[in-house]
Amino acid sequence: MSGAVGSAPDDAGLAEGVARVVAVDHGTAWLEPEPTTSCAGCLSFSACGLKSGGSSRALVARRFPLADDQGYRVGERIVVGLPESAVLSASATAYAIPLLTMVGAGILAQGLGAGDGTGAAAILGGLAVGLLVARVVAGRLARRGAFAPRFLRRVAPGGGCGQGTGEPGMTGGPS
Amino acid sequence: MQDLALLMVGAVLVNNVVLERFLGLCSFMGVTTKVDTAVGMGMATTFVITVSAMGDWSLQTFLLAPYDLGYLRTVTFILVIAGAVQFTEMVIRKVSPPLFRTLGIYLPLITTNCAVLGVALLLVEGHYGFIQSTLFAFASALGYSLVMVVFAGLRERVALADVPPLFAGPPIGFITASLLALAFMGFSGISAN
Repeated sequence: MSGAVGSAPDDAGLAEGVARVVAVDHGTAWLEPEPTTSCAGCLSFSACGLKSGGSSRALVARRFPLADDQGYRVGERIVVGLPESAVLSASATAYAIPLLTMVGAGILAQGLGAGDGTGAAAILGGLAVGLLVARVVAGRLARRGAFAPRFLRRVAPGGGCGQGTGEPGMTGGPS
Repeated sequence: MQDLALLMVGAVLVNNVVLERFLGLCSFMGVTTKVDTAVGMGMATTFVITVSAMGDWSLQTFLLAPYDLGYLRTVTFILVIAGAVQFTEMVIRKVSPPLFRTLGIYLPLITTNCAVLGVALLLVEGHYGFIQSTLFAFASALGYSLVMVVFAGLRERVALADVPPLFAGPPIGFITASLLALAFMGFSGISAN
């Protein structure tokens, strides 16, 4: 854990990422995930559009709140963690549910002998239904706090989370 | 329906996009250090491949083929894939901002995954209808995810093994991948029967 200052116990099985405190407001700190990229080792890295890891607008959209129980300062970098099971259930909710309804609608349409037009309508309808179901499921999970990251430790200047490489969690990317 | 089942089984196992067609090898080696990560990446890629296949089929059928614009196919499909990734990002952000914050990392990676473009180009060769195209793309992506998860599981086991220093890291990864590819060659007999 290079650069870590103080570590919370019980942080096994967590997807870790480094985030920067961008605002502290009435007991809530707002954090912005640090941009990382998947292909920092690629020979064409210097010419690649992905090297910034995301635009500033995209980063603003990914800001998240954290209860200010550690006395955060603006500009400070901290390591936050999310249970790996939460990343899995988020993936299943966002991708698997709409996919299953979409493919199910397609197979049903094919079974009923639908043409391309009807089949396309069925698949798009299945996608819409799947997204609605995903919205409901995601709302339930979010209310239970399943996607809420938690503070793990502070990062010393120049340090990283130490486990980000190859382990995409909330902010880290695969190499 | 039997044709559809054969098409899908063939795409998942017999003509596996990673081990038979050698597409998506970058993520195959890079994102398979842990099973959880591989599952997440696999699901995201499956979604994008399926959605972009629908867009690719529509453009190919109604624009590129009728106007003899085949030479624009690769550029067009790359645009469709980038659009599908943006669409996915937008939809997830609207459906659930917490989900978007949790999963945002996977999406930019998919744009540069050659398996997505490879599947789209395979669809053109297959001359499928809309539903067959979508299901073929879904099955191909399922094959990609299956191999990612199996390989990640193997690598987790290999990480615990006492590997000679010369083979530690990527070399043993490549050897494991080659053995997995050999195992998948066994499925090629399915098509002959």
